[in-house]
Amino acid sequence: MNSCDSSRRISRRSFSGLMLGLSAAMMVSTGAQAADYPVKQIELTVPYAAGGGTDLVARAYAEVAKKHLPQAIGVVNKTGGAGTVGLTEIMAARADGYKIGMGTVEIAMLPHMGVARFAVDDFTPIARLNAEPGAITVNAEAPWKTVEEFLAHAKANPGKVRVGNSGTGAIWHIAAEAIGDKAGVKFNHIPYDGANPAVTALLGNHIEAVSVSPAEVVAQVAAGKLRILAVAGDTRAKGFDQVPTLKEKGIDVSIYTWRGIVVPKRTPKAVVDVLREASRKTAEDQAFRDTLTKMNLTWAYVDAPAFKEAMDKDNVFFKTMMSKIGLAK
Amino acid sequence: MQEIDLLLQGFVNLANDPMALVLAVMGVTLGIIIGVLPGLTATMGVAILLPFTFGMDPVSGILMISGVFFGGIYGGSITAILLKIPGTPAAAATAMDGYALTQKGQAGIALGTATISSCIGGTISIFMLIFLAPLLAGVALEFSAAETFALAVFGLSIITSVSGESLIKGLIAGFVGLLLSTVGLDPMAGFPRYTGGFTELFNVPFIPVMIGLFAASEAFKSLGQEQTRHEIKVVIGRIIPPWSVFRGLILTILRSSGLGVIVGIIPGAGADIASFVAYNEAKRFSKNPENFGKGELKAVAACESGANSCTGGDLLPMMTLGIPGDAVTAVMLGALTMQGLQPGPLLFKDHAPLVFTLFAGMLFCYLALLVVGLNSLRLMSKVLEMPRSVLSPLILALCVVGAYAINNSMFDVGIMLAVGIVGFFMQRWDYPPSPVVLALIMGPMAESSFRRALSLSNGSYDFLYTRPITAGLLLVALVTLLLPVLRRRKAAVPADPLSPQASAAQ
Repeated sequence: MNSCDSSRRISRRSFSGLMLGLSAAMMVSTGAQAADYPVKQIELTVPYAAGGGTDLVARAYAEVAKKHLPQAIGVVNKTGGAGTVGLTEIMAARADGYKIGMGTVEIAMLPHMGVARFAVDDFTPIARLNAEPGAITVNAEAPWKTVEEFLAHAKANPGKVRVGNSGTGAIWHIAAEAIGDKAGVKFNHIPYDGANPAVTALLGNHIEAVSVSPAEVVAQVAAGKLRILAVAGDTRAKGFDQVPTLKEKGIDVSIYTWRGIVVPKRTPKAVVDVLREASRKTAEDQAFRDTLTKMNLTWAYVDAPAFKEAMDKDNVFFKTMMSKIGLAK
Repeated sequence: MQEIDLLLQGFVNLANDPMALVLAVMGVTLGIIIGVLPGLTATMGVAILLPFTFGMDPVSGILMISGVFFGGIYGGSITAILLKIPGTPAAAATAMDGYALTQKGQAGIALGTATISSCIGGTISIFMLIFLAPLLAGVALEFSAAETFALAVFGLSIITSVSGESLIKGLIAGFVGLLLSTVGLDPMAGFPRYTGGFTELFNVPFIPVMIGLFAASEAFKSLGQEQTRHEIKVVIGRIIPPWSVFRGLILTILRSSGLGVIVGIIPGAGADIASFVAYNEAKRFSKNPENFGKGELKAVAACESGANSCTGGDLLPMMTLGIPGDAVTAVMLGALTMQGLQPGPLLFKDHAPLVFTLFAGMLFCYLALLVVGLNSLRLMSKVLEMPRSVLSPLILALCVVGAYAINNSMFDVGIMLAVGIVGFFMQRWDYPPSPVVLALIMGPMAESSFRRALSLSNGSYDFLYTRPITAGLLLVALVTLLLPVLRRRKAAVPADPLSPQASAAQ
């Protein structure tokens, strides 16, 4: 009430002068804010549940980043909608650097499925931290010893070879579709509620193969229960040096799930630079690398420009794949 | 036997590690608190605690997490019995008879029975994990989509035994639950169904619905009642059931524990399903099934031993095969991996002494659960002495916090309040809430596994009768479905002997 009365009393000129002064003051304060960023705790939004792979990367990052930032990072899980809820929240957050997000490959996937309000360009990438390629894994008792034998069998039995994935429209479903597409074979895709149930079904011989990442089958492979035939990556997977890539076999498929720090599009450059520098130091910290290794996650740090390039490449790839398999909207 | 030596050695190792014991007790206590609060689940507790264990040694870290897991499953029963607020989905079954006992003035004995049953069920399951792990691990692999579908159908058939007074009203409630369970992403094709454009509805918001149905509706009801000035003196009475009463529960506890372990081993089936299955079987074997739902101590014993014996069953395929069956064990798998103990077939070979020290510690956790649980009951029961005018708003506040905490989402709070209003009218018109919860647990499981099974068999329906476990479970489901009808017939012909359905159940 009071402010209303007083504003009525001041003349138009002094009012506009006031506004000018105010906006100048605000600009100064934004500038100052960006310069001493961060002055308070940063919130890191994770679009998946606590305890999952994405969450573990986020928590490891937040823990190590303490050493490299004057303020602590708190992890908040915003789950739901296959990641859409959390990613939307990151996109829509105030672009001041106090609410950053753990971006995942779904940023480049969900916009093409008609379920997301965001697009790749709504995010400014800071740093990629982890990436896992897809792979073709079969039961150790299966007759196929090489990926050629497996694909030949699939070619001879179109639609009969059952490949388990982590859910329709999820990354490993697209991976299996892409492999089938490039190899010219037709699989029977079986969606499971995440990668673990698919691996369980493979162990029980209910399906012929899974397309999940090597990290998700490492224990069973070590125990001699499962066998990885090929990795769908640019290079051979760490720890599986004897397993060839599909590219080596003439099948040009490279598909990764990745996790990295992203911020809303309009975040000031000064803030982005602080975060980039802190993320580089954090990612290169031995403690962070050790934590990832212990969790069977592959360290795959790249700085913002390379991360951006990879995201844009994925965006184009998933757009084509989604419309090819009829998931696009 | 080698296992016994290893286990004894494990106890010795544990005795030399007092810090681990202290952390285990802390874990159990924390777990009970998490379980008591609606909306905070064992999964969440375990996940939040996980980063804190990174710096601990493996025994301390894993035992603290196990303590939270066990305590979280058990803790839900306390508020379920005292206030009809299931702190966890598993306690929804306990709430039916547990709360009825409280209304009869037997809260103490219901709580005591729940605590003792939880401890016995959990201990049995850990022993089965120790001695029968290689034998039982195969069960997890036998279960394909077809078997999971049959299990879900069996679960749905349990609606008939949790319907209370009116079977028709129970079936209507169950049907509404099934309709609700179709909201969300289509499990096979990935298309959003009935979401109205809300991404928050991609998964059925199960926990907010449960909190609304049970807790918020109860709070609304008591807000509508006339508030009496004078306080009603609530007698908690004795907590530990007398031997004469307990003797009658032993068989129920043992049977429920066995069932709980098996349900736990099955991938995707957890403590919530175990407690409903245990309830159903306890009712089936009971001489007075009509007492169930009206405050039967056996029901409380069955639900709690069933739910807690699920813990050992859950851990079994995770530790022996490296495949977690649910969210809690997935986080625990992460915890073990972080400690350099990669779960899987090699775990027992490479790290036997450490693994058996953990087993000894888990048995200790259940002992701690018994001690902490029994000692906390008198304190917890104090809530009953609170005047309703204070308690009801407090419950409502807890409901809001709990619904929010699941996904950090206000949308879920809205769902919870809306469902609470629906639940209020359901209660007024005598529609039971349990069938809705059961349908929400089983519905999505039945749908996705049925369609997955069809996909696996290339579109053939043969899996319904060619697979023995599937066919067997479907048959049990049919019996469960027809049982109330058979019972009614029998009531008409009192001379009829009691054998046919009991033998059919086996």
